[in-house]
Amino acid sequence: MTLELLLIVAFGGAFLTYFLGKISSSLRNGFAVLNALALVVMTAFLYGQTVEKNLHFGFLGMPFVLRINMLSWFFAITIVGIGLLSIIYSLKYIENGKKLDFYYFTTLLINASMLGTVICGDLISFYMFWEIMSWSTYLLISYKGGDKALFAGIKYIIMSIIGSLAMLVGIISLYTHFGTLEISTLAIQIQGASLNYILFILIMFSTAFIIINAFWPLHIWLPDAHAEAVSPFSSILSAVLVRKGMYGLYLFMYVILGLNILNRLKFGFISFTGVFCWIGAITIVFAALTALLQNDSKRILAWSTVGQGGYMILGVAFVTPLGMAGGTFHILNHCIYIALLFFVAGAIEYRTGGIRDLNSLGGLIKKMPVTFIGGLVGIFGLIGLPLTNGFVSKWLIYKTLILGNRPFLAFAAFLGTWGTVLYGYKFIHNIFLGQLPEKYKNIKEVPFTMRIPIIILTILVFLFGILPGIPLKVINAIGISLGFESLDVTLWGIASETGTLNTINIFAAILIVGIIIWLIFKAGRKAPKVDQYDNYAAGSAIPKNKYNYTVDYYYPFTKMISPYLKDIFDLFYTKIANTVQKLCNSTRKIYTGYVGSYVMYIVLFLAILILVQLKWGVF
Amino acid sequence: MQISEFILSPLLALIIGIFFLGLARKIMARIHWRYGPPITQPVIDIIRMFSQKAISHGSIFNFGLIFSLTGSIVVILFLPIGKMCPLSSGGLLVILYLMLLAPLGIALSSGEAANPNSSIGVSRKFLLALGYEVPFLLILLAVMAHYHTISLIEIVRIQANTGWSFGSLPLVLSGIAYFLILPAILGMRPFEISGAAQEISSGPKVEFGGKFLAFSTIQHALHEFIGISLFVNLFLGGWDLFGILEPISNTIWGIILGIIIFLIKMVIIFIIELFINAVFPRFRIEQAMKYLWKWPTLLSFIGLLIVVLFN
Repeated sequence: MTLELLLIVAFGGAFLTYFLGKISSSLRNGFAVLNALALVVMTAFLYGQTVEKNLHFGFLGMPFVLRINMLSWFFAITIVGIGLLSIIYSLKYIENGKKLDFYYFTTLLINASMLGTVICGDLISFYMFWEIMSWSTYLLISYKGGDKALFAGIKYIIMSIIGSLAMLVGIISLYTHFGTLEISTLAIQIQGASLNYILFILIMFSTAFIIINAFWPLHIWLPDAHAEAVSPFSSILSAVLVRKGMYGLYLFMYVILGLNILNRLKFGFISFTGVFCWIGAITIVFAALTALLQNDSKRILAWSTVGQGGYMILGVAFVTPLGMAGGTFHILNHCIYIALLFFVAGAIEYRTGGIRDLNSLGGLIKKMPVTFIGGLVGIFGLIGLPLTNGFVSKWLIYKTLILGNRPFLAFAAFLGTWGTVLYGYKFIHNIFLGQLPEKYKNIKEVPFTMRIPIIILTILVFLFGILPGIPLKVINAIGISLGFESLDVTLWGIASETGTLNTINIFAAILIVGIIIWLIFKAGRKAPKVDQYDNYAAGSAIPKNKYNYTVDYYYPFTKMISPYLKDIFDLFYTKIANTVQKLCNSTRKIYTGYVGSYVMYIVLFLAILILVQLKWGVF
Repeated sequence: MQISEFILSPLLALIIGIFFLGLARKIMARIHWRYGPPITQPVIDIIRMFSQKAISHGSIFNFGLIFSLTGSIVVILFLPIGKMCPLSSGGLLVILYLMLLAPLGIALSSGEAANPNSSIGVSRKFLLALGYEVPFLLILLAVMAHYHTISLIEIVRIQANTGWSFGSLPLVLSGIAYFLILPAILGMRPFEISGAAQEISSGPKVEFGGKFLAFSTIQHALHEFIGISLFVNLFLGGWDLFGILEPISNTIWGIILGIIIFLIKMVIIFIIELFINAVFPRFRIEQAMKYLWKWPTLLSFIGLLIVVLFN
């Protein structure tokens, strides 16, 4: 019952929220939060269960299967968790927005449909939930209105439709081949299929998942969509919605096909998983360098979402227990810190009146300390500094690559980290450090409900960084259920015959050394705090608002690389889109809209028919 | 032994690091035909700076500096000095990531100082780091792939058995590349870009005074120690000297001699770097990046390719 109940609460709650909004806005807000909270609690209680349920009221006579296992639970909990935080954050953030009933309804609907995709057990309902998710996402990306947001929405939905169509082709082909779309039955029957057919199916589904995951070269929708969406929704988008693509890849590569087939998919020295690894590597480097060129706080984060996807696929596509654990853990970690960073970017927007331009901010640490700590910890996680969660997953991925004798892939991953250091610091520096502009002298910290999600996620970044055993236990269970051998997971890290990771060592070392140094620092002569204008300027007076270095922070470098770093695929796709549009416009010349011309077409057509009949007598 | 290593290792690094600073001033002075300050001058300076008045620009200004010094000392706990290595979990990958703490700490600290000179300095520092990280990572990967381990202790141990990696055929190009980027890692000329005294008033250090300056000097000293000792560990066999310690390798004298050999190697490398430092002018940042991404990267790339093909 619980699985059906979960879906009913999720979808029913979304619709009910919409109608409650017609009565009172505070009732709607309260109900939305309660609904999201209920989903979290219900999902949490499903922990560790493996249920598969066949409901006989499905679509087109096919059964509607619901199922939950460790893999589904792992994705489900991230969806409902981020959903709840995002709704709480929205309460104040979007307070004065328009069409709020619609906003809450769509957000909850997206959550519900994402939940649907991970707990359904047959491909037809998977596809339906997937489509609900895609379309409601489209609506919410364009929610803000304006040319940019509409364009971002259109870009997203076109890419998404291409992916869905590829997936539909795959589904129909599977149905005609095997006569069933139940995942568990398919997983058994597909073992007998020919490799060529499997490759075809895999490419069809992978196209859909690569698009939603925004891997290079199909990444182009993501930066626009993430930047233009409202910040609480950007969090959902970047943290969980994009990673539905990873769920899809798990589903097809590991659940349906299984390790056996996956290891056989080799043509010469090109293996299917190898191609995925290289896509991941290119994605990492390309996204990291492009993020360096951005001047918009949310665009930087959007590009980093693209890049971090590369790490996940590098781990997951490597088909080893360690890589699998690293990739899966990275999905969770990325979900935590990217949501946090989008909340931070949103908080800045909220207080500065929608400013996302990194060149015009600065010094906000003095005014918004909680947001600053959230942003700093988020960036630390993104870089993967020790003691943050990102470190453990990246360590696992690097180790897999090095011991798997793929140093060039590892190099791409490392280089991406250095790119992250650069743009991460730019994000922190340009928003929070440096000189505080005079116009922001009176702004305050964000309201309490916006601080809650930031604080919770900040704690989680450290919690999973210092005690990685908590999530790794779940991830290990996923690995075992997918057919990998078990890893030796402890609360403090991971042990293996080729070197162990023990976060307690690092934690204790940093803590003790830090305290000693802090004590020495304290023992020195006390340093009085001075104003930002009490500063070294080689003896001259300090100009207000101008004594700052933020614009083009990495100018010498960006000047060097920007000629080479063109997003050729974006340009290419846009060109195709424009050509198609021109073609459509030229057809419009025929469809003039005047009855007279249509009558003329009909008469002409009949005349031709009559001519043909008179001449050759074909009819 | 274990507990004493935790104290001895950072202490040794601190003493050697500060000794390097003094040595650098002395040797540079002699190359310039000056007499130069006494070799203990940095120690005197640090003690003096601790008692001097300083200003603070806020909590991150304080925290960043503490954070960065903590980062450097923790790295040293993970680095083998001779046979002494207090912590080892996670191997080179952990060291690589812990090495990020120090520059980030300094960057955060000087970022809050709200001085464009320090911001420019940090920007240059990160760009230079991006420049040398490319060959640096290729080199580390070549070493790790060649010895098929991520543990630095293991790498040193294998070198003691099979000879220094600088002398082994697959890794010689990587070794040369590391030597070429070492001045950039240490921030010495021709790569003294981020702390350029004449251009941007010493960059990130511009707002540091009193105990802040003392902390940043100590951090700088430790940073030089880390850069050189990593080279000695990875390529010059760590404590090994053509196997002369073999008979006494497990006695206390073997360990002490091992540390001494290790430090002597470090001093030699440092002095060579000083000679380079003395004769070169300063690169501009884009020149530095072009250089770093050309020759050292090419060498280390070929080095990695050789390792991958030969294994």
